[in-house]
Amino acid sequence: MIQFNRFKLANGLTVLHHLDETTPMVVVNTLYDVGARDESEEKTGFAHLFEHLMFGGSVNIPDFDAPLQHAGGESNAFTSNDITNYYNVLPVQNIETALWLESDRMLSLAFTPKSLEVQRNVVIEEFKQRYLNQPYGDVWLELRPLAYKVHPYKWATIGKKIEHIEEATMDDVKAFFNAHYHPANAILCIAGNISFDETKRLVEKWYGTIPTSIKPERMLPKEPAQNEFRIQTLERNVPNNAFYYAFKMPERKSFEYYVTDIISDALGREKSSRLYGKLQKELQLVASISAYISGSLDEGLLMIEGKLNDGVSFEALDEALWNVLAELINHPMEQAETEKLLIKIRTVKAFQEQGLLNRAMNLCNYELLGDANGVNEENELYQSITAEHIQTVAKELLRKENCSLLRVKAITND
Amino acid sequence: MINRNIQPTTQQVEHIAFVKPQIFDVTPAVKLLWMKEVPNDTVRLDLFFDAGITRGEQSLPAIVHSLLFSGTEAFSSVEIHDQIDSLGGFLDTDISFENAVVSIYCLKENLLAIAHIVADAINNCIFRENEVVDTLRSLEQRYKVNQQKVSNVAQQQFRKLLFASSESYSRLAALEDFQSPNNFGYRSFWKENYLNGLTRITLVGNCGLDTVDELIDLFGKWAKDEPAKYEGDFAMTPQKIHFPKEDAVQTAIRMGKFLFPKNHPDYLEFQVLSTILGDYFGSRLMTNIREDKGYTYGIGTGNMELQRNGYFVIVTEVGKEVTEATLTEIKFELARLQTELVGEEELSLVKNYMLGQLLKSADGPYAMLDMFNSVDMYGLDLTFYDQAIEKIKHVDAKRIHELAIKYLNWDDFLIVTAG
Repeated sequence: MIQFNRFKLANGLTVLHHLDETTPMVVVNTLYDVGARDESEEKTGFAHLFEHLMFGGSVNIPDFDAPLQHAGGESNAFTSNDITNYYNVLPVQNIETALWLESDRMLSLAFTPKSLEVQRNVVIEEFKQRYLNQPYGDVWLELRPLAYKVHPYKWATIGKKIEHIEEATMDDVKAFFNAHYHPANAILCIAGNISFDETKRLVEKWYGTIPTSIKPERMLPKEPAQNEFRIQTLERNVPNNAFYYAFKMPERKSFEYYVTDIISDALGREKSSRLYGKLQKELQLVASISAYISGSLDEGLLMIEGKLNDGVSFEALDEALWNVLAELINHPMEQAETEKLLIKIRTVKAFQEQGLLNRAMNLCNYELLGDANGVNEENELYQSITAEHIQTVAKELLRKENCSLLRVKAITND
Repeated sequence: MINRNIQPTTQQVEHIAFVKPQIFDVTPAVKLLWMKEVPNDTVRLDLFFDAGITRGEQSLPAIVHSLLFSGTEAFSSVEIHDQIDSLGGFLDTDISFENAVVSIYCLKENLLAIAHIVADAINNCIFRENEVVDTLRSLEQRYKVNQQKVSNVAQQQFRKLLFASSESYSRLAALEDFQSPNNFGYRSFWKENYLNGLTRITLVGNCGLDTVDELIDLFGKWAKDEPAKYEGDFAMTPQKIHFPKEDAVQTAIRMGKFLFPKNHPDYLEFQVLSTILGDYFGSRLMTNIREDKGYTYGIGTGNMELQRNGYFVIVTEVGKEVTEATLTEIKFELARLQTELVGEEELSLVKNYMLGQLLKSADGPYAMLDMFNSVDMYGLDLTFYDQAIEKIKHVDAKRIHELAIKYLNWDDFLIVTAG
C-alpha cells in the first residue's frame, strides 16, 4: 500500500505527496501530459527533442544540472509516445534546489540557439546509436506505420526520420513549450521524509506564481478497427531471420488491458510460457521468442517476437504459432496456470513498491489515468482475472485480421 | 517575492548511516551475508560462484552458466521453470570476469521452496542433449548479433589487448564455441566451478533465522574448499588500433589503462578525479563532447574492479566522421587536468554530488547489502565508506592535479576504435 496526499494549486498544478520516513533522499517527479502522440506528422520526434532542451537552461537559471549536482542530486527524464517524465533524486535537506529548478523550467525556458543546435546533434547521434547502428534496430520504425494507419502511434518517439529533427526551429520549440509545459498539464509528486505541510508550503512557494494556461484538449484521430492481416518483409544485413507479430489491444484504462497483459505473460514472458515451451523447446523452430504488451495509453499492441533457427521457414513458424494461439482461444486455461501468472504479478508489485523513485513515478502515472490510488488497486484487478476473461479476450484479439506481421529476412552483404 | 536567480541554500551530506549485515560462516572460506530489515515481503537470494568467464576455455563458463536450469533426470528445463514460476519466483543469472551469480527474487513465504528447486536443478543437472543444442543455438545467435554491434566489437578487442599478457583474461568467445557440444567439458566445469565453487551467499529479506540455517544446509555443500585465487599482474602495451566495420554510422571508442585494486591508497581520491573527467552528467567529457559539440549521445569513464587489480576506461559511441575530433578533445581534457588546477566551484560541486550519490547508494536494505558486498568481496569493510566521506570532503585541487599527472598520461592509454 502506497499512502499519499493530493492537492491542487490555483494555477492547476496537481501535486501528490508520499511520506517515507526511512529514506534520507527525496524524489521530485514531474509528469507532463505530452508525448510523441501529440506531435504533428510533419514534425515528429519533437516531444523527445524538447525533453533534451529542458536541460539547456531556464528563464532565470542558465544551467539545470550544475545546481542540482551541487545539492548532491541527480536528474534524468524520458519521453514515450504518451508522456514526458522528469525526475530528480537528492538528499532531502536540499529539496528546495530541485523545486527551484523544476518550477523555473515550468515557468519558461532560456531558448538559447546554441542549446537547440547542440541537442539536435545529440538526438541525431541517439537516433543512430539506438535505431540505425544496431542489428534489428530499425524494426519499430517500420512496424509502427504497419500497425497504425491513422493514430500518431504510427511514429516512434525518436521520430519518423532524422530530417524532422534536423529541421526543428526555435519557433517550433517555443510553440511546443507554450502549448504543453504549464501547471495545468503537469502532475508533480514529492516523495520522501518530508511532511505534508512542508510539502504544501514549498510547492506553493515555488510553483504558486506560475501563470495558468488552458490544458490543451487532445483530439487524436482514432485508429479504425483493423480488418485485414498486414504483412511486410524487410531485408537486412542481420544474422538471423526475425519475426514481429503485433496485435491491436485495448486501451490502458480498460479491464481488458490487464487481461491482455496476462495473456502476453501466458504466451511468452518466462521459460515456462506456452510459446517458449512449444516453439523453442519442443518444435525447435526458434532460438528465442517472447511476448509482451506495449503498455500505451490508447489502443496498444500485444507483441510476439523472436528469431528463427537456421533452416526454419517463416511459414513453418507461422503455422505453429497460430496453433499455439488457437489453443488459448479454444480451451479455457487451467487453474494452475492462471494462478501461476497471478502470483508472479503479486511478486512484481511487491518489488515495485521497494523503490522510492518507482513509487513516485507510479503515483503520477495513475493520477494521469484518473486517480493515483489506482496503484494500490491494480493488484486486486489482476487477481480478479479468470480463465473466462482470458479466453474471451484471447478470442477477440488473437485473430489474423487484428494482426500486423513484420518479418526481417537476413541477407548477407559480405 | 522569491528570488529565482539565486540557488536556495544547500547542506552538504555530513553523515551516512551504513548498516552492516549479519554475517554467518558457511565454511571457513565461504560467508553468508544477511540483511534482515526489509519493510515488506520481498526477498532476494544471491549465490556467487567461482565460475566467471576467465575460469574456462571455449566459452565453457558462459555455456554452463546458461545450462544450469536445463534439466535433471526427473524434470525438463520447462518443468523446472514452471515450478519456480508457480511459486511466483524470478531467476536472474549474471556472469562477469571473476564471478557467476544466480539470483532468486520472490516473496518470503516462497523462498525455501524455490531454493530447494534451484538446489536440485543445479545439483542434478544432466546436460540433456536437446537442451544443450537449443542453448548453443541461442548463444550462437546472440554471438552473431553482438558481432554486428560496434560497441561490442570495441569492447571485446579492448579486453583482448588490455589483458594481452594473460591467457584467461584476454580470451574471447569464438563462433566455434557454440557450434559443437562439449559435454565432457560442461560436466567437468560444472562439477569444479559450481558443485565445488560456491564463494558466497547474500540474502536480503525479513525471514527467520531457521530459514538462514536451512539455506546454509542446502547450499553449503557447494562451498569452495579454499578461497579462490585470482590473477593480478597484467602488462599492457599502449597503442591505438581501429577495427573497421563497413556499414557502421557510428564509431565505438574504448580507451583505458590499468590502475589499481580497490584497496590502493589512491583509489578513493582517484574517484573524485574520474568523476570530474567523465563520471557524471556535468563532467568535462560530457560538457565538451556532448553538450558543446554534440558529437555523441553519451560519453563516460569507469573504474573497473578486479580482485587483484583494476582498470580505468573511457567509453563512447560517436558519429563516425567525428571519431578523430573526439579523440582530440579527450586528449585535450586529459592534458587540461594535468596542467590546470580544478577550480574551487567545480571541485565543491563534484564533492557534493559524490556525497549525495553515496547517500543514495546506502538507501534501503537492497542497496545497503550491495554496498557492503562490494567492499567485503575485496577484503575491505564499512570503514572504506567512512574513509570515502573523509577523502571526498578533504581532497584538494593540488592533489587532483598530482593524480592526473600520475595516472592520466595520454601516451599510456590503449585506444580501440570500431566502426
